[in-house]
Amino acid sequence: MTPVGKGHRSLNLALRKEFNLYANVRPCRSLEGFKTLYDQVDVVTIRENTEGEYSGIEHEIVDGVVQSIKLITEEASRRVAEFAFQYTIENNRRKVTAVHKANIMRMSDGLFLRCCREMAHKYKEVKFEEKYLDTVCLNMVQDPNQYDVLVMPNLYGDILSDMCAGLVGGLGLTPSGNIGLNGALFESVHGTAPDIAGQDKANPTALLLSAVMMLRYMQLNRYGDLIEKACFDTIKEAKYLTGDLGGKAKCSEFTNEICSKVAAAS
Amino acid sequence: MAARIICRQNKLIKTLICRPQSTMSAFEIQHKTPLIKKTEPIPVALYGGRHAVTMLPGGGIGPELMSYVREVFKYAGAPVDFEVIDIDPSDESIDYALTSIKRNGVAIKGNIETKSENTEIISRNVAIRNELDLYINIVHCKSFPGVHARQSNIDLMIIRQNTEGEYAMLEHESVYGVIESMKVVTESNSERVARYAFEFAKRNGRKKVTTIHKANIMKLSDGLFLDTSKRIALEYPEIEHNDMIIDNCCMQLVSNPHQFDVMMMTNLYGSIVSNVACGLIGGAGLLSGRNYGDHYAIFEPGTRNTGTAIAGKNIANPVAMLSASVDMLEHLGHQQHATLIRRAIEKTICEDRIHTSDLGGTAKSTDVVQKVIDHILESDIRPWYKRY
Amino acid sequence: MSLVTRQLPKLLLQTSQVTASRNIHSSIANSNAAKADSSEREGTRIKCTLIPGDGVGPELVASVASLFKNTGIPVDFENYFFSEVNPTLSTNLEDVASSIERNRVCLKGILASPDFGYLGELQTLNMKLRNALDLYANVVHVKSLPGVKRRHENIDCVIIREQTEGEYSALEHESVKGVVECLKIVTAKKSQRIAKFAFDYAIKNKRKKVTAVHKANIMKLGDGLFLRSCEEMAKLYPTIEFEKMIVDNCTMQMVSNPQQFDVMVTPNLYGNIVDNLASGLVGGAGVVAGASYSANCVVFEPGARHTFSEAVGKNVANPTAMMLCAAKLLNHVNLPQYGQMIRDAVNKVLLDGKVRTKDLGGQASTQEYTFAVIANCKQPQIQQKK
Repeated sequence: MTPVGKGHRSLNLALRKEFNLYANVRPCRSLEGFKTLYDQVDVVTIRENTEGEYSGIEHEIVDGVVQSIKLITEEASRRVAEFAFQYTIENNRRKVTAVHKANIMRMSDGLFLRCCREMAHKYKEVKFEEKYLDTVCLNMVQDPNQYDVLVMPNLYGDILSDMCAGLVGGLGLTPSGNIGLNGALFESVHGTAPDIAGQDKANPTALLLSAVMMLRYMQLNRYGDLIEKACFDTIKEAKYLTGDLGGKAKCSEFTNEICSKVAAAS
Repeated sequence: MAARIICRQNKLIKTLICRPQSTMSAFEIQHKTPLIKKTEPIPVALYGGRHAVTMLPGGGIGPELMSYVREVFKYAGAPVDFEVIDIDPSDESIDYALTSIKRNGVAIKGNIETKSENTEIISRNVAIRNELDLYINIVHCKSFPGVHARQSNIDLMIIRQNTEGEYAMLEHESVYGVIESMKVVTESNSERVARYAFEFAKRNGRKKVTTIHKANIMKLSDGLFLDTSKRIALEYPEIEHNDMIIDNCCMQLVSNPHQFDVMMMTNLYGSIVSNVACGLIGGAGLLSGRNYGDHYAIFEPGTRNTGTAIAGKNIANPVAMLSASVDMLEHLGHQQHATLIRRAIEKTICEDRIHTSDLGGTAKSTDVVQKVIDHILESDIRPWYKRY
Repeated sequence: MSLVTRQLPKLLLQTSQVTASRNIHSSIANSNAAKADSSEREGTRIKCTLIPGDGVGPELVASVASLFKNTGIPVDFENYFFSEVNPTLSTNLEDVASSIERNRVCLKGILASPDFGYLGELQTLNMKLRNALDLYANVVHVKSLPGVKRRHENIDCVIIREQTEGEYSALEHESVKGVVECLKIVTAKKSQRIAKFAFDYAIKNKRKKVTAVHKANIMKLGDGLFLRSCEEMAKLYPTIEFEKMIVDNCTMQMVSNPQQFDVMVTPNLYGNIVDNLASGLVGGAGVVAGASYSANCVVFEPGARHTFSEAVGKNVANPTAMMLCAAKLLNHVNLPQYGQMIRDAVNKVLLDGKVRTKDLGGQASTQEYTFAVIANCKQPQIQQKK
């Protein structure tokens, strides 16, 4: 949790810098059994995680005028673009969409876009398209199915990934992975929810699915698939659902059910 | 400071606790530290050429007069949006009204009744003026040719100190049966008024400024006011300056008002002089008053009466409030719309002679307003086109 | 009330005698009742700058022009071709800006902003126009339309966006090869100005709540300043509820529970995102009206800025957004009865559901839709002055 307002740079940011976690991946998938207004959403947002608007370079030039710098480098842009294409291939997806605002920020977003185009040349087998940020926002809420893998700079990614999570039912259901040069970090990105802490009420799905991502990252696909299936099945059966999904089960009951499913399958 | 405001029932502690922050602070700042108030500038409420203006209808005939103003503005196409705030006797509502004026910068108001003789309660009108530091009150006394009055061709500007002087409201009973009321005159406020008066005279091509005082009796307080105005007068050699004692001034006003041009005075004298001058040109229903501070402006009818007795009878004279609204348009810079409405009013009063009963006519309020609207509709000034 | 009712017999009799005795009501003028139908001075026509824009802009503008013409709305357009993708034909910026300054109202289609500027400039034409006129506040009113079935219903929120500073100021440079810095400037003055605008808007339109959208947990100084300015301003508006929301959470709430929002105030980039998001929720770029305000003039333009250039010449674009813009324009220039007329007609056509453009699931062309709206316009009662 990062406190709002003045203070030190956020801890999350420090972690990212330390391990050079350059790409944030968040698959958002509609879960069968949990009804939202949007169904069959299946979008992956890949976000550049080290620079851009969240570079943390800010200063007050004169009283009442703050300047913050959005930093885009060729190296980081190329890195994340390459990752996006590789992820697409590894996970058998169809298309990469670069989200940008290069019509306004012609140099910075322009650079990012150029790097994406270069990669698109390199990975010709993957379909590639470019979309303005606002167009994506507009279309995403009308028809999310037209997008597959989205790659974008830091801030846009932050906003769009949360929005996609909103489409499928909130941050309690979406896993998140941070891929870096010096390691990878998988996490659930929902808030710390101090109001229900210690009451055995929270929904562990996001963390569990993050763990599944981790297993896959470690090439342990078999275990990953097993756990994922058990988790999805549990939600689909809707016998043991936590409060946020409209059920009455405790966190531990939900977990036990998944464990028993895993045990039965393996 | 507050300890001096001793009431008959000695509700001192209650006074200290219960007085709302706004009136308290204004009171304190005004008199404890008689410096010019520091206010953080707030962006003006002007969006796409339309101004937001606070409207305080007040009591008595206020609400009906305000409805006429809105009606006329609609027909004239004046680009002003009103935020109407009804003041009820609670302190929250007056605080809210003040906040609203601070946001919008400009207000038009009827008279607000204080409805209390209780010594603890400061008059609401005074509270508003003090809180917003509206140190200048201007009444422009100009004869309407079509109105029957004792004097004709009067053209006076009455500029009055609006926040201190006799209306400082520092009263206490020192021993039983002896009440002292304090009159406060500060140099900084006197200077602001004097400077405003001379600056006004200079900008509007006026020739003479007269300071009204009673320095022969109140040698220190009015003396300070007079000395300050004399000092400032030196900076404006092109404008003639003289001074006059208030009692003489009242006599001169009724016998030979044409000798005056711009008049400046302290609070109480201003109240007297403006009412005398209003009477000369035909009554309370014609004149508008303007209150200016460094940051805010409030427009209201010139003489401050609620007219509760004639409320709802459709006989109140709408001209004063309409004139106030015209002053407001001028202040906001909508010169075209202001001229349009001003001419319509003048035509109605002077040429058509549609007069309400206070001017000796038989017309209803709505007749006057209707005529004004007719004139606006007939007029070929189309304010929207022209850039002012 | 009485003022108007007394006007009516006059209208019927067409009397020219101003001195004729009148039917006098003794009741006090009641302006609320009179608001419904107000008068219009004969011959007072309003001039309005018109920028058709790129893509389907000209088609939409033509549709609005024919609507105005066929319903006798007293507005004259001053047409300027203004475009960044066609720089040789475009009127220069000064002419357009001075025309808008003179007329103080403008109806504008969307200008396409290519990824690379003509002459390699960083600023887009849109930005230049905004800066020239200081159009600092962009207001987008997102409202669910009657009869248009969407996932979310009863959305009614207003997004107010600062659009002269922040991320979109085109202050970019390449410090070393391969490293681009883009400056985001936030100033207290402009933040306060937009915050005040939002609150004043809320007061004027009788709204309850203002939500400030920010990312001050990460951008502690820049967005922190914006947020602080909003907080300060909120103190002046005790009757308006004020809340803060982080932008990513805001987008998530927007797609799951958009009804909770009322007035939102945002810096530049977040506003752009939220605008489009909210527009998507109620039916797309073709149905949401917006406006940009400066102190002295207003530019009315569709809320979501998409040129929809793939539909050019196909007669399929949805002119609803442009019509609603026109209705807002009429409100602004003291012709609210016409504004209401257009809004009623559009609502009726949408509610009937027979004539709809493709984006709303219908088959009608732009033209058919326009005709349907014109046919449903009920002339307001207008006082004629002889």
